[in-house]
Amino acid sequence: MIVKYKPKRNWLQTIFHTEILQGLALTLSKLFSPPITRQYPKEKPPIYPGFRGQHALVRDPQSGTAKCVACMRCAQICPSRCISIRYHQEEETSRRVMDSFNIEALRCVYCGYCVEVCPVNAITMTDIFEYASYDRESIYFDKEKLLSNWDDFMSSSTYDQSSYVNPFWRPRGLPESELTAAKRVPVPDDWRIENQFIGRKARSKKITGGE
Amino acid sequence: MIKATTVDIPVSAGNEDHYRLRMGPQHPATHGVLRVDLDLDGETIMECEPHVGYLHRGFEKLAEHRTYVQNLVLTDRLDYIAAMANNVGYCEAVEKLLKIEVPLRAKYLRTMVCEMARISSHLLWLATHALDIGAMTVFLYCFREREELLELFAELCGARLTTTYTRLGGVRQDVTHSIMMKLVRFVDAFPANIEEYETLIDTNRIWLKRTVNVGTVSARDAVSLCLTGASLRGSGVDYDVRKHFPYAAYDLVDFEIPRGETGDTYARYRCRMEEMRQSNHILRQCIEQMPPGPIIGDDAPDLVMPNKPGRKVEVDTPARQGLIKLVEDRDIFMEGDVYVPTEVPKGELGFYFISDGNGSPYRMHIRSPSFIHIGALKTLAKGAMVADLIAIIGTLDVVLGECDR
Repeated sequence: MIVKYKPKRNWLQTIFHTEILQGLALTLSKLFSPPITRQYPKEKPPIYPGFRGQHALVRDPQSGTAKCVACMRCAQICPSRCISIRYHQEEETSRRVMDSFNIEALRCVYCGYCVEVCPVNAITMTDIFEYASYDRESIYFDKEKLLSNWDDFMSSSTYDQSSYVNPFWRPRGLPESELTAAKRVPVPDDWRIENQFIGRKARSKKITGGE
Repeated sequence: MIKATTVDIPVSAGNEDHYRLRMGPQHPATHGVLRVDLDLDGETIMECEPHVGYLHRGFEKLAEHRTYVQNLVLTDRLDYIAAMANNVGYCEAVEKLLKIEVPLRAKYLRTMVCEMARISSHLLWLATHALDIGAMTVFLYCFREREELLELFAELCGARLTTTYTRLGGVRQDVTHSIMMKLVRFVDAFPANIEEYETLIDTNRIWLKRTVNVGTVSARDAVSLCLTGASLRGSGVDYDVRKHFPYAAYDLVDFEIPRGETGDTYARYRCRMEEMRQSNHILRQCIEQMPPGPIIGDDAPDLVMPNKPGRKVEVDTPARQGLIKLVEDRDIFMEGDVYVPTEVPKGELGFYFISDGNGSPYRMHIRSPSFIHIGALKTLAKGAMVADLIAIIGTLDVVLGECDR
């Protein structure tokens, strides 16, 4: 396909600057259309579930502390190596107990891998994105800060703590059999693989093929 | 006219017409941190020497110490205005190396996000190119549409620019009905928007004066300068990786490759405008043909890939270890090398891997179109005016993040 090239002007168009007038007419007509500018600090942008914002450790409603089981998967997957975890092993049950959990958010690349690999939904990324600071210490998150991030997120958003779930805990379109037990949480209907979007042509092909 | 950032002392005595001009690296019209040293005779460029490396972050070296999954986030930061296309290119290459099959739905989703990235990148190109040349209004209109696409990316994968959308063996998230409805609305409205941009600049005599016969490159020269993408097709060479070496679902959709004849800035502008129409056409087909099925293959490796063979991933958690099956009996670590080209908005992006059997590449080389296009700047700018250099840098559509990587 050869693209069209060099539209010719006749002398009338050259004299009367028709193409410039057309452009001006277009900009003039936009004067009467509604503005599309978002007045940012007053007007917040829409945030969708699964936004990769500030980190938080989910506060377990039963125990009142973090759900983390110190499996180290998040620290292992982190591409920028910004997560560091310390743990000790309990003598009698040989369970791991997390002692400290630090995220250096200034190094974080916000890929969301840590949330996705967590087998117990302990870590999450919240919808909060306005946490710039003048010092580095306040963006260096330790365990307490991460837990309070979760509390802040829950109090500032409309989500309900018992039913909160984000698409990284349970990626859309992934069958339930692929998930760990803790990740088989109830999700909205259109996240389920049975309700996935199918194109018009593919659907008609499927129906005729089945018959 | 261009304001010089630094002016050197004239080169030699008795040759007062010649002087050196340093453009950049903070010059807004160089689209990032590109420095160009110019040898001028009056206002004509005698010699043009581009200097790159101000945005070097060492991705190729970083990649040697990270697993294939972790390296995916580096590709977001290559061409940061079309990160989706880089993600797809990277995953296509690694999948060929590790011999992973991708399900059909994931292929269609990849094609879809690639074309969305192409439209958003071309919109940004048109906006900045027109702004450099002096058309302010186009800039505002282009960003209006680009914002819609970025918000769709945010809804799809949680980030507007650093998407990290693909996975080895598939994609990360399935689309929802709400995303697809918004996309349908965008696709329906977009051709009218392209007409708006064209009304403003297509026949505008200032635009024509600044672009026609500026930065002309013949087909033979374009091939020998290794230009790819619209910069090559503007000269009339029929080469597009999507058509000639199809990846993802490009062999299942119908589209045409626009090409120009004259190889000047205006021809490349026309090519990119037509490409946006074709991308829109591909998007429409992807929406219509979107097949049902899984979004990730059965043999996709676990996210927590071991980076040494034989080293087991720590299994100390209840139930299954992770989201995606860890196929332990399968040898995921191949030895050998692979080069896979993909068509990103800028041109041909190729990933070359050498693997020695470890979980991270022994060597990753990125053939980035921007770097090669900046190499062509020297030839294109010779004999042009200083003001034309801005148009030439704009028309090559370079992104310094990809060039310096």
